[in-house]
Amino acid sequence: MKQRIRATRLFLWLSLAFVAPGIAGQARAPKDSEEVRDLKTFADRVQAYVKMQKDLEASLSTLKPTKDAGQIVEHQHALARKIVDARRNARQGDIFTHEVTERFRKIIHRAFDGPEGRLVRRTIQPDTPSKVIVLGVNDVFPEGVPVTTMPPTLLLKLPELPQELAYRIVGHDLTLIDTKARLIVDLIPNAIR
Amino acid sequence: MPGMRRFTFVSCVALAAICLSLHAQNLPLPLKPDSVRFAVIGDMGTGDKPQYEVAEQMIKDRLKFPFEFVIALGDDLYGGSDPSDYEDKFERPYKVLLDAGVKFYAVLGNHDSPNERFYRSFNMNGQKYYTYKKGNVRFFALDSNYMDPQQLSWLEKELRSSGSDWKICYFHHTLYSSGAFHGSATELRLLLEPLFVKYGVEVVFAGHEHVYERVKPQKGIYYFTEGASGSLRRGNLKKTNLTAAGNDQDRSFMLVEIAGDELYFQTILRTGRTVDSGVIPRLAKITDATPWPTLPAGHGGLPGRTVR
Repeated sequence: MKQRIRATRLFLWLSLAFVAPGIAGQARAPKDSEEVRDLKTFADRVQAYVKMQKDLEASLSTLKPTKDAGQIVEHQHALARKIVDARRNARQGDIFTHEVTERFRKIIHRAFDGPEGRLVRRTIQPDTPSKVIVLGVNDVFPEGVPVTTMPPTLLLKLPELPQELAYRIVGHDLTLIDTKARLIVDLIPNAIR
Repeated sequence: MPGMRRFTFVSCVALAAICLSLHAQNLPLPLKPDSVRFAVIGDMGTGDKPQYEVAEQMIKDRLKFPFEFVIALGDDLYGGSDPSDYEDKFERPYKVLLDAGVKFYAVLGNHDSPNERFYRSFNMNGQKYYTYKKGNVRFFALDSNYMDPQQLSWLEKELRSSGSDWKICYFHHTLYSSGAFHGSATELRLLLEPLFVKYGVEVVFAGHEHVYERVKPQKGIYYFTEGASGSLRRGNLKKTNLTAAGNDQDRSFMLVEIAGDELYFQTILRTGRTVDSGVIPRLAKITDATPWPTLPAGHGGLPGRTVR
């Protein structure tokens, strides 16, 4: 029975992650079995990361809205330290596996080269820092650097993420960032041509 | 002696009359009973002197126009989010307002850390996007840095179920702008504008572009950019056919009053000078060609600055 519930949950999650974003009339093309497999790999790894993050965060005092800014900053740093420690052997490609990376590159190139490509490029252009930032797995997203707006039509095409994670474009790279710890979880170098 | 008293009395009456007259000129907001009153600031969190001067002017104007809350349009803390940033760029400049119980409802800009959503004085309750109601007005505070399908679905659901008279959206990136640095966020507009039109959003506030601009109504929606409450890009407003009024010469903030079916606004520089004001009727059938309604005589009208 438990397995059935788990399977149903997984199905719902996958549906939410990959099918639901049909909003704004942007229906997704049917996926072949390889694509489904690759995206499931990504979803599983994302899920595993979020579980680990939540477990680690549970060992810290709960962060609730507070007037004490120091508490917010301390929570972020403490969580980042725990994650870096737990993922000290993490490497680029752990979540964006080779196959997943190729899928993502196709989606990104279609978005940038498609009919809305000009608008997509314009969205990321103004905020791109003039100084080149090179980030790796487990690096902290630098404080004070403006984030590049994620092109919303690209977000419609990429697999949805749980709120603990977000996609961010840094230079030409697509990064997966932990929104609370502000850590780079994984990245696809030169995803943006 | 009675003559002296009479002279003093007459002088006082004359002075009061002058003050009232000046008051009327400086504050074209009607102060109607039970109205919703708030201030609008954007791109303010520099911690520099001009931000403090804008804040001081807001404090002065609150004596005449007791606004209850402030909407902050993002870039609330530039350059980092250490405790000292919260202190220098938010708590100190707005201390008088915070101590008086004025609430700030912030959204995230591209210079903000997402963890600012846990800062209680920003009233985001740990959420990157949220909604709240004041009187007959429903506010939708959005995260335009990351407009993902989840947020779009949430927005549509909230707009659909909102029974409020007024629907006001605010977020960081401006959908219509004549600013030379960023311009309009046209890709974001593709997704948001259809929802705004479908569900009857009347007014949208945004920042990002470090100028003040009031845009001519677009598809019946009024767009304001107030991104000059701390930062300023002087001379950055290039007049286009979108521009109804604007200012790119000094820092500014807005005061807004919503009473029944009318929204009154006033845009004020840190010097106290009003550069724009007007009134917006609710659910009016407006086309792009419809002229702006002006306030009655003595209420300031729509001076606006003639932009190049």
